[in-house]
Amino acid sequence: MTELVAEIGDPGAAVSGSPARARQVLRRLRSDRPAMAGLVVTTVLILAAVLAPLLAALEGQDTTTFHTQLLDSARGGVPRGALGGLGAEHWLGVEPTTGRDLFARALYGARISFTVAFGTLVVQLLLGVAIGLAAGFGGRWVDATLGRLIDLAISFPQLMFAIALLAIVPQSFPRPVLLMLVIGLFNWGGTARLTRGQVLSLKSRDYVAAARLSGASPARIALREILPGALPQVLTYAAILLPANMVSEAGLSFLGVGVHPPTSSWGQMLSTATTWFRADPMYVLVPGLSLLTAVLAFTLFADGLRAALDPKASLRGGR
Amino acid sequence: MMRRVPALLTATTLLAAATACSGGGSASSSAGTAFDPKSCQGGTLYILNQTSATDEHFDPARIYTSGGGAVPSLVFRTLTTRKRVPGQAGTTVAPDLATDTGTPSDDARTWTYHLRDGLKFEDGTPITAKDVKWGVERSFAPELSGGIPYLRDWLVGGTDYKGPYKGRELDSIQTPDDKTIVFKLRKPEGDFPYVATATQFTPVPKAKDGGTAYERHPISSGPYKVQTHVQDKSLTLVRNPNWSRTVDDQRLACPDRIEATYGLSAAVINQRLSTGAGKDADAVTTDTDLSPAELARISTDPTLKKRTVRGQFGYTNFIAFNTKVKPFDDVRVREAISYAVNRQAVVNAVGGSSLAKPATTFLPDQAAFGYQPYDAFPAGPTGNPAKAKELLAQAGHSNLTITLAHRNNDASQDGPAVATAVQEALKQAGVTVKLQAYDQASYRSVQTKPSTEPGIFLAGWGADWPTGGPFLAPIFDGRQILQDGGNYNFAQYDDPKVNAEFDAINKISDPLQARPRWGALDAELGRQALTVPLFHPVYLRLYGKNVKNTYLDEWRGSYDVAMVSVK
Repeated sequence: MTELVAEIGDPGAAVSGSPARARQVLRRLRSDRPAMAGLVVTTVLILAAVLAPLLAALEGQDTTTFHTQLLDSARGGVPRGALGGLGAEHWLGVEPTTGRDLFARALYGARISFTVAFGTLVVQLLLGVAIGLAAGFGGRWVDATLGRLIDLAISFPQLMFAIALLAIVPQSFPRPVLLMLVIGLFNWGGTARLTRGQVLSLKSRDYVAAARLSGASPARIALREILPGALPQVLTYAAILLPANMVSEAGLSFLGVGVHPPTSSWGQMLSTATTWFRADPMYVLVPGLSLLTAVLAFTLFADGLRAALDPKASLRGGR
Repeated sequence: MMRRVPALLTATTLLAAATACSGGGSASSSAGTAFDPKSCQGGTLYILNQTSATDEHFDPARIYTSGGGAVPSLVFRTLTTRKRVPGQAGTTVAPDLATDTGTPSDDARTWTYHLRDGLKFEDGTPITAKDVKWGVERSFAPELSGGIPYLRDWLVGGTDYKGPYKGRELDSIQTPDDKTIVFKLRKPEGDFPYVATATQFTPVPKAKDGGTAYERHPISSGPYKVQTHVQDKSLTLVRNPNWSRTVDDQRLACPDRIEATYGLSAAVINQRLSTGAGKDADAVTTDTDLSPAELARISTDPTLKKRTVRGQFGYTNFIAFNTKVKPFDDVRVREAISYAVNRQAVVNAVGGSSLAKPATTFLPDQAAFGYQPYDAFPAGPTGNPAKAKELLAQAGHSNLTITLAHRNNDASQDGPAVATAVQEALKQAGVTVKLQAYDQASYRSVQTKPSTEPGIFLAGWGADWPTGGPFLAPIFDGRQILQDGGNYNFAQYDDPKVNAEFDAINKISDPLQARPRWGALDAELGRQALTVPLFHPVYLRLYGKNVKNTYLDEWRGSYDVAMVSVK
C-alpha cells in the first residue's frame, strides 16, 4: 500500500522541506480534533515527566519513603481511608504494604515509560532505515538476503527471547538502556520493510535517474535523493511505533524483567497492583489509566499525522 | 530441615510446608449442627491445591513430610505421628503404629518400638515389624530418592547402604520378633521420635513391593486407600475396610471419600473457597494461604472472616550475613544493621500484622522450639538509625555502600518487597543499599555455597519438626559448614563451645528438658548478630462453608485432613 501511495503521489511533494506542502500538512493536522487533543495530552504528559522532581517536590513527597502509619497493618497493609489514602498530602493516595506516594511513583514511572519508548524508537529507526535502505538499494542478492533477515526479525518469538536476555544481562547494566536495546532489537522489521518499499518505488523515478546519469555515487543517491523521499512515511510509522514501545516496556516490567526496585514504572506498578484490584482499586487505576491515556493520546496524534501526510488525501483536494 | 528459604526444599518440602501454626488454631464449626466426632462420618472432602509436591511420587519412601504430612498421613501410618489436637499440644509426638513414642537407651543412641495389636494392611494381612524395617530400608534405594536425609546420617551403616533390593539388610535395624523393632544410631538423637513420624517409617509389604512401580498402588495402612492417582493432577482416596478407629486413636477419618485436585493457582483456590459454589463448599486447601490483598478484602466481609483460620508454622525470615565477606566480618557493622532495620516496614511489606509477627529471636515464638524472648539490639518497632550511625562511625564506615541479595519474586517473602523495606531503613542510617536479585532457580544454590555466598542477603528457615535442634543446628553448628553446597551455616560460624552444646542437648530425649537449653543457646547466638531476625510468618486460610473441625495444627500450620468433616 505504501508503495502505491508513493507512486500516486507527486514525487517532488514527497520530499520534505517543501514549504507549501508543510503548510498544507499543518493545516490539515490542525483541523483534526482528535489528533490535536492527542497532541495536547501528549505534551502535558511529557512535560509532567520532565518536571517530575519539581511536581513531586510541590506535593512534598518522593518515590521511596515508606509511610507505614498510613496503612492498616492488620488488614494486609491496605491504605487507611477512602480511595487508597488519597488526600492533600498524597494526591493519588499511597501504595498498599509500603505507603509510598503513588503520585510521585506514577510521575517517575512516566519518565521510564517515555524514555524507554523514545530510546527504543531511535534504535528501531537506525536499524530499520539502514537495513531497509540497503535492501531496497542493493542488488538482487543483497535484497534477498536482507529480505529474509527482515522476515526473521518480524516472525521472531521476541517476548520469550527478550525475557531470557533481560534475565541474563548483569544487573549493573543500566536497566532503561537495556530495555531500549532489547525492545528495539526485536522490533525494527516493520520499519525496514516500509523503508525498502519506499526505496524500491522511489529509485525508478526520473529525478533519481537524473542524479545517477549526472554521475552521483550510489551512497549519495541513497542518502541525498532517496532517503528524504522515504522519510515522511517512515516518520509517520514511527509515531505509531511509539505507543507500541510503551506497551512493550510495560509488558516486560509487568512480567518482572523490567526496571529494578525501588524504581517505578507503569508496568511494574500494574504488576504489583493486579492482586489489589478489589481491595484498593486506586492502586490499579493510577498506573492503568496513565498508560491508557498516554497510549491513546500518542496513537490519536500519530493517526492524525498519518492522515495529514497522506498524499492520496491531497489528490482528492481535502482532508 | 527447612521450608521456604532455601528454595530447593521448597519444592520437595512443600508438603511439609503446609505451614504454620501457633496463633489461633481454634476448632471451629460452620453452618448446621455442631461437630461431633461420633457422627461425623460421610460425604466427600475436596482438597484444592497448587502443587502435588509431596504426592508427585505417592510412595512412602519418596515423600518428604513434616509430621507425616497431610494427604500421605491418610494412607500411610507411621511408628509415631504428630498429636492430632489443636493448640501447642499439637507440636508433640503421639504413638501411631507403636505403643509409645519410643524407648531410648545408650544415651539416645538406641531406640526401641513395639507395635500395637490388630494392625492390618488394606488387603487384610497383619502388619509386622519386618514390614516397617523393609519400608525404612527401601528408602535407602537410590531409585527411590526424595525422602528425608536424616536416616542416612543417623543409622549405623546408613551412609553406604543402597537399599534392600540386592539382598543386603541394614543391620542397624533389628526385629527380634514380629512386634518389636530396634534402631541403632551412630550418635545420640533425642529427637528420634519426631523423625519417626516421617512416611519412611511406614510398613511396606515386601511381597507387594515393585520398587519404583510401588507408587502405582501403595498398600495402605491408614484409613484410606488410593482409588485413582493421576500424577500432578488428581488423587482420589476411598475407605480402607481393614482400618478402624479401634486401632488408631490419631485419625477421625470422617469423610467417606477424598478427592484432591492439583495445579490450581492460589488466586483461583481462594476465589473458589470464598464463593463456595457446589462441591467447593466441601473443600479445603493444604497449601494455599491468603495473600495481603485477599486479606484486605475478606476483612470487610463478616461471613468470609468467619471461615478463616489462623495458624503458624515454626519459621523465621531473617537477614543473613556471610562473616567471611567484608565489612560483615566486623560485629559493629552487623550490630548497626540490626539496629537500623525497621521491622514494622518489613512486616507491612509482607502483608501486615495479620500475616507476620516482628521477630527479634532466631527461634520461632513457640514453646516447642524452646523459645525464650530476647532482643539483643533493642531499637523499637521502627528501628534506631541514630544508634546504627554511631556504631558505623566507630567501625570507620561513614559512607557505607552494601549490596543486598534477594530473590526476584515475593512468593517466599525474601523478594523485592522486603529488600526495598530494608533498603529504605538502612538509608536512614546513612547506608546505601544496592539490590541484587536472583531468580528462583539460582538463589538457593548461590547462597548455600560458601564460595558464591553473598555478604548480606534475605533468607528464611523452618524446621522439619518442632524442636530447637533442627532449627538451630544447620544454621549455627560449625561442623555443618559445607563447602560444596547445601550449606545453611550462612555466617560460617564455628565455635567449639557451641558445637559441644549441640551434642550435649541432642542426648536429651525429654523435650521439656531440652527446651530451656535451646532457648539459652539461641539467646547467646543472638548477641553475636550473626543474623538479623525479621519476622515470623502467620498463615491465614479459608475453608469451604460446610467443612467442620477446621483448625490449623501447630506442627505444620495446615488443616489436618484426617480430622475435618463435611457432614
